[in-house]
Amino acid sequence: MTIVCAGLFAAAPILIALAPPERDMGLVQKIFYFHTPAAWMFLTAGVVCGIASVRYLARGAPQQDRLAWAAAELLVLFGAIALVTGPLWARKTWGVWWQWDVRLTSSLLGWMIGVAYLLVRRYAGPGSDKLAAGLALFGMANVPFIYISVNYWRTIHPPTTVVPRLPLSFGIPFYVSALAFLLLFVLLLRARVHLEEQRARLDSLYLSVDH
Amino acid sequence: MRGFVATLLAVSCSAVALAGQRSPALPPSPPASLPELAPRPLETELRQRIDPATLQSQAPSANQPPQDEFSEPLSELPPEERMPAAPMVVAAYIFVLLAFFAYVFSLSRRLSAVKQDMARLETEIKGSRRP
Repeated sequence: MTIVCAGLFAAAPILIALAPPERDMGLVQKIFYFHTPAAWMFLTAGVVCGIASVRYLARGAPQQDRLAWAAAELLVLFGAIALVTGPLWARKTWGVWWQWDVRLTSSLLGWMIGVAYLLVRRYAGPGSDKLAAGLALFGMANVPFIYISVNYWRTIHPPTTVVPRLPLSFGIPFYVSALAFLLLFVLLLRARVHLEEQRARLDSLYLSVDH
Repeated sequence: MRGFVATLLAVSCSAVALAGQRSPALPPSPPASLPELAPRPLETELRQRIDPATLQSQAPSANQPPQDEFSEPLSELPPEERMPAAPMVVAAYIFVLLAFFAYVFSLSRRLSAVKQDMARLETEIKGSRRP
């Protein structure tokens, strides 16, 4: 999987460079090829974090808590990418860095919930796992709202119908890039969960030393 | 926009109808031999606006995103005000790469720190078990 992901990430910039420029937006439209996959992974991370948190709250399984924590970090990472590359695109296309429309505002809110999750995990002390899991539920509830907002509200952001209607010359680099982002997401999630497992082992070792 | 055009049409039609009416108090119309007066600027403006070709050119296109404010299309801005796209694309690309590298670096540092702690602790445990 690592090799495939590396290969896709090597091929994606070449395909993006070879893709024709869009008629109205020109060169700046190429931000789309990594802005949208990053936004998709941001939403995926929100769903993974939310589902794992629900399962942790229901069953108390520590594996689910580790998964939720890992997904929350990736939510912040991919959300930061989407929220930084989006304004760079918007400044050229819309003439403004930011617009307080529903899509952008709800995305920022979702990202801030992710940051809040990590802050709670780090600084809230004992019991922060369940507190953060509760927070993750709000983050997950925000995900469908972020996704459909552009279709239901009058907004400057393009609707979700853009991607299914992509012509082949835009579609191939986009889906290669999206696949690369998905594989990277899975790899990073696994690596982050592995880190938490190692930390759990370390904690149990410390406990065995104390006893 | 449609409401505006409809109002404009209504206003212009009533203006044309009013212009066509003759008041009984007014003197009779001048003979045809006199030179025709040039159309007034307002009338010209209204005629231009209700011209179908002009209306067609002013109608918003279907693929244009809805906007809350009027803004000048980028293609009509003067060249000195146009923003180059390449720095934006390059900045976005660099940010993506930096974010990934920073996260992977942070992850590997945290993982190596945990592994070092574990190795040290295991050594301590083995040392304490020796007689």
